Amino acid sequence: MKRRARRVLPFAVVVALATAAPFVLSEFATSLLAEILIWSILAMGLDLLFGYTGMLSFGQALYFGVGAYGITLGVTRLGWAFLPSLLLAVIAAGVAAGIAGFFAVRLTWHYFAIITIIFSLVLYFVALSRADLTGGEDGMSFEVPPIVDFGGVELSVYEPLVEYYFVLIVTVISFLLLRLITRSQLGLVFRALRDNTNRASLLGYDTLRYRWVSFVIAGMFGGLSGALLAVKMRYASASYLFWTVSGDAVIWTVVGGAGTLVGPIVGTATLITLRDYLSTWFENHQLFTGLIAIVVVLTAPQGIVGLARRLTTRS
Amino acid sequence: MAEILVLHALNGLVWGLITALIALGLSIIFGLLDIVNVAHGDLFMVGAVLAWYLVRYVDNFWLALVLAPLAVALLGIVLERLVLRSIDVARSLVVTFGLSLILQDAVRSTFGPTPQRMLPPFEHTIPVFDFNYSLYRLLAALIALAAIAGLFLYLHHTKFGTWMRAVRQDRDMATAMGIPTDQVFMVTFAVGAGLAALAGVVATPITTIEFRIGLVILPAAFIAVVVGGLGNLPGTAAAAVLLGEAEGIASAFFSPTTARIFSLIFMSAVLLLRPHGLFTRRTG
Repeated sequence: MKRRARRVLPFAVVVALATAAPFVLSEFATSLLAEILIWSILAMGLDLLFGYTGMLSFGQALYFGVGAYGITLGVTRLGWAFLPSLLLAVIAAGVAAGIAGFFAVRLTWHYFAIITIIFSLVLYFVALSRADLTGGEDGMSFEVPPIVDFGGVELSVYEPLVEYYFVLIVTVISFLLLRLITRSQLGLVFRALRDNTNRASLLGYDTLRYRWVSFVIAGMFGGLSGALLAVKMRYASASYLFWTVSGDAVIWTVVGGAGTLVGPIVGTATLITLRDYLSTWFENHQLFTGLIAIVVVLTAPQGIVGLARRLTTRS
Repeated sequence: MAEILVLHALNGLVWGLITALIALGLSIIFGLLDIVNVAHGDLFMVGAVLAWYLVRYVDNFWLALVLAPLAVALLGIVLERLVLRSIDVARSLVVTFGLSLILQDAVRSTFGPTPQRMLPPFEHTIPVFDFNYSLYRLLAALIALAAIAGLFLYLHHTKFGTWMRAVRQDRDMATAMGIPTDQVFMVTFAVGAGLAALAGVVATPITTIEFRIGLVILPAAFIAVVVGGLGNLPGTAAAAVLLGEAEGIASAFFSPTTARIFSLIFMSAVLLLRPHGLFTRRTG
């Protein structure tokens, strides 16, 4: 019971703080926080794939972009309501990951990393050449329908508080779902694949299938993240599909600490806050993102969370 | 129609050879150091930007052709010593991605975000059918070809080149035989970086340059490395030229974007069906 409390307490504190945040922070800071939460869903999905299953994908931008366009096109082309469009976005990303994953999981290490980049590039170029549908590099803006419009109650993302709490709830649910997966039997198999694929295979696990499952789950969370960002920006563009988005996700995950699920959130929060803070002073904040990524990877291979854990257990 | 095809084929050849320079560097670095260098395109970009500055302020293209690759090779030595020594594949992806961000931002803040053009060192043309084809482009192809030949001669006919091949084959054995592996790593990265920069200098008069051109050329170089077979240098060079030709000729019929999509799909197929490359014979 005590161990359980120790595990749940930090989580409760962080959620309570995040809930209170809009009343303490400025409207701008709250909006930035929402953006951090959205991106951290992408990073957490990648963490399941890389940190827990040992597959370094450099192509999560694909599912992020499919999610963004899924909700945008669901609303604009199909005229669907908010929640069905969001569902469409997540399912579309899952299907995309299912197809790409069918091929990609057959490769390992750098071959896997390279093929994920290639797949995301293919879709990026397709999006560029179908500018009539995607708006190309310029992108397309859209009017976001209310999240709920039922019995006289209308909740719309154009209300900053509604938007923030909606994003917070989705992020918390995503975190809990992923925590559930990593603690489950399935998560155990994922880790077995990461640590020793051959042994897992000899124990009778269908390694390809489990790698595929991990890939699809990560893709769906990538799609969810992309859809939320499109909602937040009221905009989607082909640049969401560019491989630098994937690179950002990898950096956030590794800097925060891969294989911890909390690490990606810490990494995303740290680097986006820093980027935002620095960009008010310097134009070239990318330089600092790059420097920090390099310094962390070289000095703390387990990331910020790994470093913190090492420091607290040693004392 | 035939004339246009010849024109596109020539352009494809020039770009294919330039891409080959980048791809060969990418490949030797991967083969020896186990580093997937995501910043390799940016080394190409830095070479191009340095050339632009040298031509602008010293007004000597030939000087740029020598100095810019040397400078970038030095930069490569510094980077290899400082951040890339003994690092695994996953972390090398992150570190070189970080380097890529740094190089791009450094160039954006000094060179500026606007694309620039540079005139070729001479504007002569030679008649090809009814067209006048830029003589410089042919020279660019020749320079690239000479550099590729130089690399192969270096690898096969010098002491250091032989060491490089030995380390690639069996690192531990090479160390045991007294080959200074650390120096070999350093030189490999310097040569790879220098080749990318040379490609950048040669490409500057035929393209527009800005801080993001590395991001555009990198996938093409990757395609060549994978299609040719990771670590198979002649295969990589051949693949770069073939793909340059294919994309060049395809762009006579389709948009460049569509041509790029086809080559990416082709590459995925090669990766999946023949992960050791089109030209690598698998033994055992």
